Amino acid sequence: MGLSAKDALHLKEALQIAAVKCSERCLYQSAKWAAELLDALPDVPAAELGQVASSMPGSQVHPAFAPNADPLEAALEAKELNKYLLAKTFFDCKEFDRCAAVFLPESLLAGLLSAKANDTTSPRGKGKATAAPSAEQSLPAISQKSLFLALYAKVISGEKRKDEDSEMIMGPQDLGSVVNKQLLVVTRFLERWLAERKAEDCELSASQGFLEYLYGMVLVKEKNDSVALDYLMQSVHLFPWNWGCWLEIANLIARVEHLNKIAPHLPQNIMSFIFHANTAVNLYQQGQDLAASLNDLLGIFPTSSFLLTCKALLNYHMKDLLAAEQDFSNLLALHPHRLDSLDHYSNILYVLNLRPKLAFLAHLCSSIDKFRPESCVVIGNYYSLLSLHENAVQYFRRALTLDRSCLSAWTLMGHEYVELKNTHAAIESYRRAVDVNRRDYRAWYGLGQTYEVLEMHAYALWYYKKAAGLRPWDGKMWQAVGSCLQKMGRDRDGIKALKRALLADSYYDSTSSSFGSAGAVDRMAQMDPEVLLQIAIMYDRLDEEDEAKAYMELCVAQEDGGLGDSVAIHRDSSGVASDGEAEATERGGGGEGTGVTVATSKARMWLAKNAMRTEDYVTANRLATELCQDGVEVEEAKALIREARSRMELANMVDR
Amino acid sequence: MSRFLTPAKIGLLALIELYTEEAVPNDSIVPVIKFIISHLLGRDLVSTSVSAPADPWGKADSTIRLVVSIQDFEHVLGPLAAADHLPGRRLWDMFLEKLWAIDSLHALRVFFDRLPRLSAKTRDELRRMAELGEHPPSGLLLSRRSPFGRFVRKSHSEFPLLKFGPAAELWKGFVKYRHPTAGYWNRRNPHHGRLSFDSVLMTGEHGWGPGADALAVVAYGDMLRLDGQDDTLSVSTDDIESLLEFQIELIQKYGNRAPPDIRDRLLRLLKDCHLIPSLSHYLNFSDAWRSGEYPTSLDHLHRYFDYTMQGRKRLFYQYALMNVAIVQTDFGCHKEAVTAMLETVSIARENRDMTCLNFALNWFFHFGRAHPDLVRDLENSTMLGSGKETLAFLRVMAKETGMWILWGSALLNEAKLGLSGGESVSVALEYMVRSSHMVVRRNMKTMMGAQLSMAIALWDRLGLSYLSGLTCEVFMRCHANRSVFDDELRVTCRLAGLLAGRGKYEEAFEKLEAVNSNSLRAVESNQHWHLYRGILKLSRDLHRNNIEAADCLLSQLLQMRTDDIEADIVFVIDLLHVESLTRRGDYEPAFVKTDRLIAEMRHDKRDISLRIRLLLTKAHLFDRTGRPERGFTIAMRAASLAWHARLVALLWQAMGAIANVLNALSEFATAAELLVIVLPRCLETDMAYMTGTLYSLLADARMGQAGEKATAEGMSRGGRAAGAPMKATASASAAPAAAQKKPSEFLAKAHEALDLAFGYFSLVEDVEMQCQVLAKNATLMRSMGDHGLSEEYAAKYVALKRKADARNG
Repeated sequence: MGLSAKDALHLKEALQIAAVKCSERCLYQSAKWAAELLDALPDVPAAELGQVASSMPGSQVHPAFAPNADPLEAALEAKELNKYLLAKTFFDCKEFDRCAAVFLPESLLAGLLSAKANDTTSPRGKGKATAAPSAEQSLPAISQKSLFLALYAKVISGEKRKDEDSEMIMGPQDLGSVVNKQLLVVTRFLERWLAERKAEDCELSASQGFLEYLYGMVLVKEKNDSVALDYLMQSVHLFPWNWGCWLEIANLIARVEHLNKIAPHLPQNIMSFIFHANTAVNLYQQGQDLAASLNDLLGIFPTSSFLLTCKALLNYHMKDLLAAEQDFSNLLALHPHRLDSLDHYSNILYVLNLRPKLAFLAHLCSSIDKFRPESCVVIGNYYSLLSLHENAVQYFRRALTLDRSCLSAWTLMGHEYVELKNTHAAIESYRRAVDVNRRDYRAWYGLGQTYEVLEMHAYALWYYKKAAGLRPWDGKMWQAVGSCLQKMGRDRDGIKALKRALLADSYYDSTSSSFGSAGAVDRMAQMDPEVLLQIAIMYDRLDEEDEAKAYMELCVAQEDGGLGDSVAIHRDSSGVASDGEAEATERGGGGEGTGVTVATSKARMWLAKNAMRTEDYVTANRLATELCQDGVEVEEAKALIREARSRMELANMVDR
Repeated sequence: MSRFLTPAKIGLLALIELYTEEAVPNDSIVPVIKFIISHLLGRDLVSTSVSAPADPWGKADSTIRLVVSIQDFEHVLGPLAAADHLPGRRLWDMFLEKLWAIDSLHALRVFFDRLPRLSAKTRDELRRMAELGEHPPSGLLLSRRSPFGRFVRKSHSEFPLLKFGPAAELWKGFVKYRHPTAGYWNRRNPHHGRLSFDSVLMTGEHGWGPGADALAVVAYGDMLRLDGQDDTLSVSTDDIESLLEFQIELIQKYGNRAPPDIRDRLLRLLKDCHLIPSLSHYLNFSDAWRSGEYPTSLDHLHRYFDYTMQGRKRLFYQYALMNVAIVQTDFGCHKEAVTAMLETVSIARENRDMTCLNFALNWFFHFGRAHPDLVRDLENSTMLGSGKETLAFLRVMAKETGMWILWGSALLNEAKLGLSGGESVSVALEYMVRSSHMVVRRNMKTMMGAQLSMAIALWDRLGLSYLSGLTCEVFMRCHANRSVFDDELRVTCRLAGLLAGRGKYEEAFEKLEAVNSNSLRAVESNQHWHLYRGILKLSRDLHRNNIEAADCLLSQLLQMRTDDIEADIVFVIDLLHVESLTRRGDYEPAFVKTDRLIAEMRHDKRDISLRIRLLLTKAHLFDRTGRPERGFTIAMRAASLAWHARLVALLWQAMGAIANVLNALSEFATAAELLVIVLPRCLETDMAYMTGTLYSLLADARMGQAGEKATAEGMSRGGRAAGAPMKATASASAAPAAAQKKPSEFLAKAHEALDLAFGYFSLVEDVEMQCQVLAKNATLMRSMGDHGLSEEYAAKYVALKRKADARNG
């Protein structure tokens, strides 16, 4: 999707303004994001540029640096430029309290708070703020920019203190119970400010959107999600170029349905488009539409690292690991100094077991910056791959010390604790991961696994269900649910879940193959014999021998793969044989069958014994002989053979 | 910087792996193993002969070289053929193959993980393997306790201890270390590409294109761009510490400073390690101390203590103080040194540290000997007691605490004390024998210097200069390599002194010049060396009557006479000063100075030999001023003191002084008799000047006898003089044989003695005495009536004078 020269210029200008405005307010990440995107925008050809430029007077100041369009705000900003510069430099030097105090001294805030407590309906006039704590105190008359900076500094300082008070990761203080003490002040202040705006909007200048964003952010921290979403959406409408705001919205959306519900209420521009795509990727959505929209965006911003990351993550979530690896690898070459989201890359390399590459990546990261959470996660992953779990935990902890909201580190640390058999710590890590981001299916799954290890199946089931809810097309989740149900003795439900697992595998197969990035997937591939065996066993327990036998046969048939079709009738699905592999690369893939596995051997043994019971000695003999050939449970198989033969001989004798 | 592992060690490991894979052909095994072992143990296996290594710094040098560059491997492995005997394939190629097979950070880890394969399995492991149904490994395996096995196991256990950052650093260091071989490897290996130092980059290059370079730069930093120009070296704390320890050991053992180039290289290594071991401060301190920088050395010493305050080293406060005290003494701050040492004693007493206390006491003893004035108050106020008691106490304590070196040195000191007090030589010898027994039994090679120095001094005192010279030679040939450089220097000086005493100035100076110049970089040795050279030159100049040059030297030497040189040398300089004054004819100041020195000697309990020498100087002064009789009592006292102390050389000198007095008193026969007895013994001492003097005295006595005879004969011929018969009878009774001789016989004997005296004086090139002898000879000849010879002697005299003047400019 190309843009016309004019559109491109407009887009460019808008992004430039966004970068400047965000960095004026010390929203560093948003500014960085906008600037990165700006950089990814290809230059408009000079000829077209000339056309467009003629329509605009050349000598004008660039709009990014032009004074505020609102004359009232512009006057205020001009008046307090000195103080603003002071506050901004304080913020840049990480002296947050001092920054806040430039515009909002403590005495003033205290006065405002008490005023709020006393009487909210008293008439408020405009005027200079006085230090006297009177009930009549009004908000200080400062520009929105300065106000935002001051309040934002307050919030950040509170966050910093919160982190400091929490002390060591998973230490005695770190229970997630420490709160940001500045939130209350900021909330009160913003409440009043926004109320004023609503009441007398004719008199006051229009809001620029940033304060709504701040209020939304504060509300999110107070877990007041729905109100927060309202304010954030307001902010987005007022100023759509603040990526941080979009991210906050994205964090509030837990389900695709929710995303689709709010989509119409969002402003219709490119930002909302990017937002939609990004959120969908983070919600583990997949499909052609999403890929197409990402490709469209990449058409506009061909080298955008952000969009390329999204694309790679999309491939990753679709379990097309090789493509994802390729994407990330290209991204790495394109932006060698960029660390963002390399932790995902390391996950991919981990799963692919590309040790040298993972080691190289870790080396690269630690060369760039040893003290970035991403670097620590990458190194931790490398150690985990080497089965040096203690070291891995150490690095994940370091990542968390650097950034407590580092989601992947919490989850991965949970995995490591599971490996170290420290279930208590594992559960805590997973729990923290889930608290940070409720969409992390791996953490839910990990929780379930841990409880399963502890044989607390009810808990495990709950968490598996959560995970399955997040990734309904992932067979592994359903399989986990199914086996959990099986262990709890709820065979009917278990069978349902496991059948769903089989179905889910085939579902995602169809999408990925239609996407076409991973090449043609062999439709003659097999189902997971484990799942089939489990289903069969459960049927067996329910005394539904026919079903059980059918599944057992299906399971055995997976050994040579191709037979899958013939027995697929038993399944609830439309009879499409599917790829039973949970991870595309874990095994050889393709239609060659799994060969003899423990599961198929067990199924064969069951079948042999079943044949004995049904006095089908020939079959029993054949199956037992096969077992002997495979070299599994030879003793028992031999006993079976002996018995079958003797029975056959007996039968012969009787016949005779 | 890692604790133990370095790229060079990876190289050694690879080499060991090659060795265990039996890739090293039989005839190359020895050099390869020798190379590895020399780096593992820091010791040369082949040259462990009796003699110490010729170059003590060689070890440090090779360690540094190995750490810095891979070339050392090439030097060793390059000439060796590989085991598979492919033409042109060398061991170096196989080694490179191994190194380049480590082609990524992960491969490095795999390399380390694989290491246990090399060493033999323990019984447990074997059993476990048997349980698992595995076959026990075969082939060449390293025993677990062998140097190789230990090195391999240690490397294996060290690598996982590295955090990721240091491991990556090690990998980077390794890539850099290996880089110089890239060109060679490229030629041998066509597949080798530009980025093949990292397989990930190499394989990624297709996909990444130019991005691969950017990634390489990000990951490997400037290392690639500068192409080895940057100067960070990978060195482990282990290496640095062993190097530092080695240097400190050398400094402490031999008193040497490191040669400048090795020092520079070590400094470069130190610069690259972020974690500077506290030992390096100690090294800096030692170096500064040796080079005589007082503020710097104290600064470094304190820094060292500051950095070692943690841990158990805090208990070493008393040792720190002791160090401070020793440094203070070396820089001449004696008062501060005493306070520091007293503090040491009190702390050590508090901590019940007997070892430290003993050392402190020993130090006090020596200090007291050198600076009696400073310790005097102390001795009165404390229970330290006199020198002798201290030593006895020390000896007992050392025996109790098992401090053999202290015990030995206490014994030697006791011997020394006895000798200098003029006590029994046999008692001193007994102490020496006991100490020698200790030295041999405990194999205290470092004590050899002190032991032999004592022996040298003893033989000197007993006038057996041949034995003393022999002992010097023994020390220089057998023990010099293993003892402190200071001892070596002193013995060399002593040898030079002996040679100079025999008039072999050139040889003496040669001996001094031959001293290792690097060792002379230590300021104390350097000073001593310069002083001694100055003294030798001065005495030669005095002999040659080169008063100007002597004055020049003397003024310099007298300036050196501060507190920081030894009292003995100060005394020698003083004596030379007196002599110079005497030679110039300034008898008054010479006399004053001698008297002052004698008074000082009486005050302090100094070596008795010094006192005797002073007495003899005084007697000599009386002689020069023409009143030898006044020196009679002095000479007698000197003789009796020397006799009691068995200071043989001085005894003969004293005898000479007495003979001189006797001559003056016209007791010629007695004098001659005395001299005739003394002279053969004096010849043993190898002191040419003294022998010459004695001969010249003998000639005087003979002349006197001849004169007496002539008078007697003349009297018997032409009427007897009043007092003559009595004298004649006296001389006749003393030497009945002489009475029978004719005057001409005495004259001939006098001539003979004069000739001998001239010979000895010309040995030491003493112009004045030579002239004197020649003048006497000329007179003698004239009195014998041989005018021709007389003229000849006179001409010789003039020529000699002229020659000396010409030489002195």
